[in-house]
Amino acid sequence: MKNEQKLILGGQEFESRLFVGTGKFSSVDVMLAAIKASGAQLVTVALRRFNQERPSDDLLSPLIKLGVTLVPNTSGARNAAEAVRAAMLGRELSGSRFVKVEIHPNPHHLMPDPLETYEACKQLAKAGFIVLPYMPADPVLAKRLEDVGCAAVMPLGSAIGSGHGLSTVEMVRLIIADSGIPVIVDAGIRAPSEAATCMEMGCGAVLVNSAIAAAGDPVAMASAFAMAVKAGTAARQAGLMAQSGHAVATSPLTSFLAGDPA
Amino acid sequence: MGGASKRGAFFMNITVNGNNFDYQGAGSVDSLLKQLGANPEAVALMVNDQIIPRTERNTVVLKAGDRVEVLSFMGGG
Repeated sequence: MKNEQKLILGGQEFESRLFVGTGKFSSVDVMLAAIKASGAQLVTVALRRFNQERPSDDLLSPLIKLGVTLVPNTSGARNAAEAVRAAMLGRELSGSRFVKVEIHPNPHHLMPDPLETYEACKQLAKAGFIVLPYMPADPVLAKRLEDVGCAAVMPLGSAIGSGHGLSTVEMVRLIIADSGIPVIVDAGIRAPSEAATCMEMGCGAVLVNSAIAAAGDPVAMASAFAMAVKAGTAARQAGLMAQSGHAVATSPLTSFLAGDPA
Repeated sequence: MGGASKRGAFFMNITVNGNNFDYQGAGSVDSLLKQLGANPEAVALMVNDQIIPRTERNTVVLKAGDRVEVLSFMGGG
């Protein structure tokens, strides 16, 4: 139990281990209600060109009113230089040192570019950002990103928005085993049970967006994820039983009905 | 191209978010935001790829041909 109660990122403590993204919601009101129901304290946002036709589209003020910490992402950046610039703009606008580095040049699969991600993280950590890289589930890259000063690593469970769950489970297990910083599974999660699995495995948190935003009832799903993350965290802290290759009886096997000599 | 009008206001052609834009105003990026109808607290700005911090918006004077990017937060994962 001891130090595992709170998540610490960049020296800041967080009660909630569920991060929520703000994309794909049907309306700002649904998004705000879902974030509230999720209990998330860290919320990702994207930078886009201001739309003169829809000046009220902005999410900054409603999210600040909600009291969450913003994590601007660098989505849209195709290389390290663009990501660094996006991060600077995000910090200028949010006042937050958090940045989710996200560099995926191919819109078909949205897989993160490991080389550009590494370079961007190195520069941003040096510039004082609390760097959270979205990354391939690669244990070697995870260590390299830890070495350059990232506050956490965020391996993907499966392709962004695919809902294919934790297809990288064995790689994530290896990342967790070696990592000195929190491991946050980001992307691909569809069901609360998958989020619980991440936490049982020892993840520091999970980041969920599409699974909530595209659910039949996003607010109810946000609350389901909150419960699952809490259950998984509690299970991890309680310590899962050891596995065995054979059956281990839970009831006594000595017979008392049959075989009693008359 | 553009220049100063009789009343001292500037008019010129600049690029805003990739589109041609006829700018009229006092020349500062603050006045451009007003013309765009943008909440100054809710946008970040770049002029010719340089980020303009909030505190320096008054001091930046736009000139013809400048490329301005006005960005705000939208939903994202």
